[in-house]
Amino acid sequence: MSSASTTRVNSAGRGARRRRPWALIGVVPFFAYVVIFLVVPAAAVMVEAFRANDGSLSLTNISTVLSSTQPWLHSYGISLELSAISAVLAGILGLVGTVALVSSPSRMVRRLVTTGCGVLANTGGVPLAFAFIATIGNAGIVTHLLADLGFNPYYHGFSLYSFTGLVIVYLYFLLPLVILLMLPPVEALRQEWREAAATLGASPRHYWQKVGLPVLTPPFVATLMVLFMDAFAAYATAQALTTGSVPLVPIEIGSLLAGNVVTNQANLGDALGLGMIVIVGAAGALYVFVQRKTARWLR
Amino acid sequence: MKRTRTFRWIALGLLGLYVLIPVAASVQFSLEAGYKGRLSFSAYSQAVAEGGLGTSLVTSVKVSAGAAAITLALLVPTVIFVNLCFPRWRAVLDAVSLLPLGVPAVVIVLGVLGAYKSVPSVITGTPVILALVYVILAMPYSYRAIDAGVRSIDLHTLVDAARSMGAGWGKLFSRVLLPSLRSGILAAAFLTVALSLGEYAIASIMGFSTFPVWLVGVEGNNPYVAVALSICALAFTWILLVTLAMAGSGRKRRSTGFGAGLVGPEVEVEISPSPEDEAVA
Repeated sequence: MSSASTTRVNSAGRGARRRRPWALIGVVPFFAYVVIFLVVPAAAVMVEAFRANDGSLSLTNISTVLSSTQPWLHSYGISLELSAISAVLAGILGLVGTVALVSSPSRMVRRLVTTGCGVLANTGGVPLAFAFIATIGNAGIVTHLLADLGFNPYYHGFSLYSFTGLVIVYLYFLLPLVILLMLPPVEALRQEWREAAATLGASPRHYWQKVGLPVLTPPFVATLMVLFMDAFAAYATAQALTTGSVPLVPIEIGSLLAGNVVTNQANLGDALGLGMIVIVGAAGALYVFVQRKTARWLR
Repeated sequence: MKRTRTFRWIALGLLGLYVLIPVAASVQFSLEAGYKGRLSFSAYSQAVAEGGLGTSLVTSVKVSAGAAAITLALLVPTVIFVNLCFPRWRAVLDAVSLLPLGVPAVVIVLGVLGAYKSVPSVITGTPVILALVYVILAMPYSYRAIDAGVRSIDLHTLVDAARSMGAGWGKLFSRVLLPSLRSGILAAAFLTVALSLGEYAIASIMGFSTFPVWLVGVEGNNPYVAVALSICALAFTWILLVTLAMAGSGRKRRSTGFGAGLVGPEVEVEISPSPEDEAVA
């Protein structure tokens, strides 16, 4: 760096420093990588969804997916239902847990729980499914325990390898996620607000109705969206637990790709994938929208 | 106030049970191995002898190491350059790094298989493709870990000081920047490894026998062995992530920020307004 250029650059201030064309080299690989391994594949799915077997543009795949004589719409229904139920259930239970946690005076407990949540929210997949099989599978430890007490859940319509079972397992990694996501907004409910409300004659119920819940609603909706996206895209747990007996969209796409299902439409999987992108995208958009509203309460 | 306390302990207690029961039950399940009341390590010794364990583990470890290496080689220079030269682009990169969250793993497989049919099978036909794709899957987390690290140091001063004392760009990187970004780099690597070791969807659809894929195959024949190995896998990931959490908090949560890497965008970037606030929380 010559002394002349140093002076010039310094006078231009911090933001403009060292701006040299070759520094672009630093960002090009990143964007190139994302384009090659994310943008192009995602775009390929969207384009292929509109191509017939002979490569011509057509709506055949889309209309097959949307046809009521085909199983695909049903799959979307099950997937949406599973993700929505898991998200709402985890959201409500997690919120209760978060409120309980925040009211705890012990910093130790709180640190332990938040660390644990960070770890558990990333637990999932095959090992988790197997842990639940060992617990309440048909030969699981808790199943045996309950059977010894005279109540075998498998004689009363329960099965881990079903829709209900999936909800139970999904809650295991969704609940910690709720606590992590809702802890900052719940903590941001200021003690002063509560006191101010009380001074003005509000009962605790009034306080929650008029202050607490309105403030917590946007971050809660955002959290529900995250949970929904997480559950909607999940594949491993469902596959390991139900081996495809609950026909979720990702599982159906997997079977199509692996050639387990024979169709005469090469790009049917892409059409199913397009539907997933649309649904996850919509949830993501709602998340971003709500998140913008949240930010100001957390100052 | 007594009611609040009771409520608190019941709520936290139930959550705790929900977390602990499956773990405890799995341990008992694997130790009993079908014989009620008789504990032994036979499922574990069988697991070691199980055919294919070694090969699948080696594949998984190679893929994870590859993914972590690519992640660091790609992201560390990028994040440094952007912070140094194009601070205004930071928001763009931040948004781009979140994109993978909007594309389900199954869709990525669909797209990669569809778009790169004609690419030589040296890449798409070997586990190399897994490492390449896992970099994308882990990016929302790894990017945040490295970015938090870079923002926590005074990049401009370090660079100016090193340069004015005559260090070249190579020396600047190896002697100044990399050491001071150690914990952010470590966090990104850990998170990528944890994700890569556990990924099932893409590996199984593409037909590669990584550890989770192999494990699902074992379950049909010997559930006890599968559960024993699941416990080991869970324990390993948990140790990895707890170590990360400890390292993060040990440095006053300066550089990595546990939440930053793990839950990524939601906690660190969107909900908490700044890293400082997270430290207070």
